[in-house]
Amino acid sequence: MALGLTFVGTWLSLKQFKSNIPHLDAPFGLFPVSVLKPLSGVDAGLSDNLETFFLQRYPEFELIFSVACESDSAVRVVERLMKTYPAVSARLIIGDVNEGLNPKVNNMIRSYDVAKYDWILISDSNVRVKEDYLRRLVGHVDNGVGLVTAVVAGTAPSGIGGWLEATFLNTFYARGMVLAKALGEACVVGKSMLFSRSVANRFGGIRNLSQYLAEDYMAGKAMELLGLKVVIARDPVRQHIGQYSINQFWQRHVRWGRIRKAQAPLTFMVEPLFGCLVSGLIGAGALSAIDMPFFAVFTAHVAAWFLCDSMIFRSLYPECDDRRAILGWGVRELTALALWANIAIGRTVKWRGKQLRILPGGLLETH
Amino acid sequence: MFLGDFHIHSTFSDGKHSVPELIDAFGTRGFGVIAITDHLCESRTTLGKAAGFLGHTLTPATFPLYKAILRSEAERAWREYQMVVIPGFELTKNTLSNHRSAHLLALGVTEYLPADGDVKDLARQIRALGGVSVAAHPVWTGKLEKQTFHIWDRREELESELDAWEVASGGLLFQKVAESHYRKIASSDLHSLKQISSWKTVFDCDRDPGAILDAIRSGKVRFAYYQDGEELILDDGICDRTDDCCLGNGPGADFCRNMAVSKAV
Repeated sequence: MALGLTFVGTWLSLKQFKSNIPHLDAPFGLFPVSVLKPLSGVDAGLSDNLETFFLQRYPEFELIFSVACESDSAVRVVERLMKTYPAVSARLIIGDVNEGLNPKVNNMIRSYDVAKYDWILISDSNVRVKEDYLRRLVGHVDNGVGLVTAVVAGTAPSGIGGWLEATFLNTFYARGMVLAKALGEACVVGKSMLFSRSVANRFGGIRNLSQYLAEDYMAGKAMELLGLKVVIARDPVRQHIGQYSINQFWQRHVRWGRIRKAQAPLTFMVEPLFGCLVSGLIGAGALSAIDMPFFAVFTAHVAAWFLCDSMIFRSLYPECDDRRAILGWGVRELTALALWANIAIGRTVKWRGKQLRILPGGLLETH
Repeated sequence: MFLGDFHIHSTFSDGKHSVPELIDAFGTRGFGVIAITDHLCESRTTLGKAAGFLGHTLTPATFPLYKAILRSEAERAWREYQMVVIPGFELTKNTLSNHRSAHLLALGVTEYLPADGDVKDLARQIRALGGVSVAAHPVWTGKLEKQTFHIWDRREELESELDAWEVASGGLLFQKVAESHYRKIASSDLHSLKQISSWKTVFDCDRDPGAILDAIRSGKVRFAYYQDGEELILDDGICDRTDDCCLGNGPGADFCRNMAVSKAV
């Protein structure tokens, strides 16, 4: 069953990346967009990542960068880019708002309030996009669409933590997001969220999302509760991973995993059964009862799983180093159960220096 | 005069339609007031936890969105249809025993109220929050579904704590409630728009949340069977011809006349 879901998820993902073509005539027109870029420190490749937004070929847009405090090292990077591209409408907002416990949302509230346009794109600092990104994203907006998000492709990893991150993003998360959508559950990734502010204000705007750890997931949920659709764009956004330690990888995925646990506890409980090794062992064990060779079945299962994963991986990150990708995949599979167990035994996360407790449903409280 | 329905479920619990869809459905049909009352289940019981896992209940996590969407949709409903939308929820206490199960509507309440605790305490808390408490389907509903008799079993003790009792749910009038001296309202317990044809409450007061809740508290309401697709005329003439009893022209009207429901209020 797990392998079957993997086959279906892989097929849907590949179909998503190839055939869900945006309307390039943009049914709603190429409406102006305010791009919100919340920043915190200097990620790997930050300047290059941000520069891709200055280079957008789009009729009317503005960039609003925000940092929590003036001493943030991202300030200089932004100021330099603003000087380099004076023709692009760009602003830097310094100072967050203490609305809820989600530091990313607190950092964006002022930008959200002062944005010139109704259509808002929230885009994380570590994504790098092509120059037609906005145009193609807007092409997905149609009647009944509340939010357009995108699959994240992990690129340019360095170090074992970086390759683990790339493997997770380019297999488990990408497939999970598309599969969940097909099963009727919208998964929204905060790295790329396009929506109308006037629609979002119907559920209280981003202020009302500041009390949740996963503001992106809740934004998608709120759109669906308004009877609107969440669409996954055809083009993935590329996250520039760079140097990543194992500890960074682990902490980040514990945080993401605890979000999944809080938002969908039943799915989280059975998650290991849908992992490669555990499901392979169970399946091979069951089939050995009818005299099928355990080792052969298990090997075939792992090989089929690897084939599926490698197809999605290559589709999202074609220029990857195959040997390192295989190594990352192997380590990921071997550590998946330990990571799941680590996620399962706790309810707190550390995020931007704050220790937070996650309540059922993803609400946050200080720990 | 205008029609009201105070027992409606949306996709926030086990309803099939989003809040905006419901607003448009009732607004275009000319209703004067509705209340969205999604389930808010106990958090400590097994059935309550199961509802939480299935996403069939409001929770502390979904309530902020519920509150915000109801507020914005209430503004839109008034702007587009002159229809009042009263916020609320249905405190849902389900156990395997029908006699220990109770559903209590909290109308006009915008704060999260845990459903754990005794019905009497919950009713008091609803009043303390400025709301109106209504015993939902307190007797046999005539359907093969979970029954909730706990409040009716304790009716003498709870009479003074509750503001009103549902006298009908969907197409069925509850004879025991109709014959009682309790203040009453009639609603659909709607989960799908297919259930919109049902008994409704008729008001003759200002289209204002405070005035409507006061009318419920004081029992100044009447009832009509609303048949979707048929014209429902609510005026004094119709009212006189039906013995000042029920208003409207649906299939349940004769039954209503026989029951003389409004004479009890």
